[in-house]
Amino acid sequence: MERIRNFLLLIPLFFLLVGCVEKETVDDINLINGIGFDYAEEGRIIGTILFPVFMKDQPPENKILTAEAAIKKSVLQDIQKQSADPIVTGKMRVVLFGEELSTKQGILELVDAFQRDPGVGSGIYLATVDGTAEEILKGKYGIKGNAAHIANLLDQNVKREDLPKTNLQRFLADFYQKGKTPYIPQIKKISDENVELSGVGLFKSGKIIDTITQDKMFFFKLLVDKFSEGMHRVGIEKGDAAIRSIRSSHNFELTGRNPFEVTVKIRVEGVINEFTGNELTPKITKQLAKQFEEDIARECMYFVKRFQEKEIDPVGFGHFVKTQERNFNIDKWWAAEYPKLVVKIKPDVTITEAGVIQ
Amino acid sequence: MAFMKFPFLKKKNDREEIKKALSKSKDYTTVTYLNKKTNVTFCLTFMSTLVDEKIINDNALPPLLEGDFYRLEDTKNILPLSDVQVTEETDKLEQKLFNGYVLLTMQGIENKFCFFSAQKEVSRNVSVPEVEFNVIGPKEAFVESIDQNLNLIRKRLPIKELIIEEQKVGKLSKTTVAILYIDGITNTENVNTVRQRISDIEFDAITDSSYIVQMISDNQHSPFPQLLDTERPDRVAAILAEGKVAIIVDGSPHALITPTTLVEFFSSFEDYFLNWILSSFLRLVRIFAVTFSVLVTPVYVATLSYHYELIPQDLLGLLVTSRRQIPFPPILEALFLELTIELLREAGARLPTKVGQTIGIVGGIVLGTASVEAGLTSNVLLIFVALAALASFTTPIYKMSNTIRLIRFPFLIFAELWGLLGILLAFCFFLTHLLRLTSLGRPFLEPIYPPRIHDLKDALIRLPFSQQTNRPFFLQSKAPKRFDDGTAKEKKDIDE
Repeated sequence: MERIRNFLLLIPLFFLLVGCVEKETVDDINLINGIGFDYAEEGRIIGTILFPVFMKDQPPENKILTAEAAIKKSVLQDIQKQSADPIVTGKMRVVLFGEELSTKQGILELVDAFQRDPGVGSGIYLATVDGTAEEILKGKYGIKGNAAHIANLLDQNVKREDLPKTNLQRFLADFYQKGKTPYIPQIKKISDENVELSGVGLFKSGKIIDTITQDKMFFFKLLVDKFSEGMHRVGIEKGDAAIRSIRSSHNFELTGRNPFEVTVKIRVEGVINEFTGNELTPKITKQLAKQFEEDIARECMYFVKRFQEKEIDPVGFGHFVKTQERNFNIDKWWAAEYPKLVVKIKPDVTITEAGVIQ
Repeated sequence: MAFMKFPFLKKKNDREEIKKALSKSKDYTTVTYLNKKTNVTFCLTFMSTLVDEKIINDNALPPLLEGDFYRLEDTKNILPLSDVQVTEETDKLEQKLFNGYVLLTMQGIENKFCFFSAQKEVSRNVSVPEVEFNVIGPKEAFVESIDQNLNLIRKRLPIKELIIEEQKVGKLSKTTVAILYIDGITNTENVNTVRQRISDIEFDAITDSSYIVQMISDNQHSPFPQLLDTERPDRVAAILAEGKVAIIVDGSPHALITPTTLVEFFSSFEDYFLNWILSSFLRLVRIFAVTFSVLVTPVYVATLSYHYELIPQDLLGLLVTSRRQIPFPPILEALFLELTIELLREAGARLPTKVGQTIGIVGGIVLGTASVEAGLTSNVLLIFVALAALASFTTPIYKMSNTIRLIRFPFLIFAELWGLLGILLAFCFFLTHLLRLTSLGRPFLEPIYPPRIHDLKDALIRLPFSQQTNRPFFLQSKAPKRFDDGTAKEKKDIDE
């Protein structure tokens, strides 16, 4: 009996604790799906949030609120003043940064807020915008809402096409990793109902200083991502072929130490999806593979040179060397060793299938 | 104590006093006869409600009136009945009368009397099990008569080792309680415990085996039943063979099985009639159903109130639109629907069968649809609650299914208070409780905890009979092996 009495005495104590928990009933909150930041004059920024208003048997309506603030983190608070329900960040899918903002001011301080918010998952997409973020969010894409549309667009391009894996987690990991610089995808509004993936933005200390265009992204993905799918067009004399990589892997090897020399082996297994020439003989297939290898080597070398010039390292050569070299000094690396780094690309293309009808 | 007021309940009762007390009842009958052949005057005393007058008229009276009846001892010879006793003990007098015996006294002999039994058999026929209905398998269920019930079990275990012990329980009801076990298989400790607990019962009227359950349970404050009750004689026979103890109470169509474990409450006896793959699947379905039934509404309340992050994007629209017009927070909405279901069930249970079913179905559909249309509850929750109710009915043992329905409410309240953390807290409470719970001193959560890998053969899944070589480990049976697996070799083809 005493046990029961003690237990009953405990129950009121439970109720005292209840006040400590904050309640967020799902229909009484505004769930931000996307947020965009743009540059305004004098270091101020414009924040745009997008939340869906769900309708019965209809696609959700995109609702947009905008506020301008000097301190970046107060943007959300300013927007809160326009909203009837509390704004919560737990269902966020994408964060967009306007072109001007990401090239002039940098996005680090903004990203920092997301990394500290426990409601924000590490899988959200960061993307930079060719144009302003507000413009992009104001469109009307897809039937699942704008933010969901953009997030799904990035998602499927990562999984099936030639966009390297990217999200908040990767961005931060690359940023904090010594000898590596982050990159995020870039999107562009092409009409009120369409948005496209236009490239990859490369960062140096929080600012975008270079972009890789859509058509070169395949090679970029080969360099930075372990497994990649994606399509590439290879041209030889007898015709053009669209080769789809179904499996690829890359492998780094430190082959020299003074100056540092890194050999990158890139293996690609591909199938020919389309060929414009007359007949696809095994000989032509071999030629195509050879040409593909040349393309890979050329484009990748070009990238590496470009990265070295701009003093960025999205591939993470610095990080790789650090894992192989005992006396690695990151300052010395950036100042002297990275510009002198020799990179050798060794592509190996296998074409496994060329279609069934002979 | 109240019963001390009745003079006939006194230990040292006098014949006259008993007579005086009994003559107040209208069914107390005393008739005086004269045997014309021997000129003996004798008197028959009986309770007319308990006695089959046909036996008296057809079997007892003709020899008594016309036979060679000189002395009381002669009755043994002349009466064509099996149970005739001559005794001097007045103590037994009252008890015998109420057991349906007829008292025969001779004029002039005061200290000696004779009894013969003429019980009226009032019992319904053995019928189809209603609570534990099976599609396959035997369709006999226990009835209220203990003799009939024991007969059903004896038939299935025709061995001398099956021991039926009897005890009388209840100062007023004098209920016969039988303890059944198989000598040489059942652990004596278990039998002793049961015997002692039953003899320790202090209560005036035991009218059903459920009384016994509540009185001999290890923890009487637990919502979980610790003795399995069944109305199937085949199940009782099967568990006796496993080495458990069965308790049969006169007047109750439910036998008790002890010691038992939690998983046994989720095994239907039909599991043994089906192929092991099917029955294992059905058991897993049942376990899933229970978990689902207990957790689905609490999880709904918790996620909608606290953890919107957990809801998939595509489901969000559905949930938000279905909830937007509802004026209540999720917890009230959930409680409202849960209580509606409870009401329907309770009303259905109290009403006659046919009406009850109709009320249940019609009420469920009409009330559910109407409350969604009126905007009192969201249709998503309605689906969940209805599914949860449906799932709770899959528990084969009725008492356990009631418990399942009850423990949903603490989960709901905890979910409202602290979200998923609260559900975890409630789960921890129940888990701790279950871990501490014992059935006849044997752990209730066995074979999950303490882990007994061999007993898992017949727990969450049921392995084929060829794998069931051992009796459950936790019973500490005297004969741990059911059969020697060496002798049960695989059948060979005839031409091999």
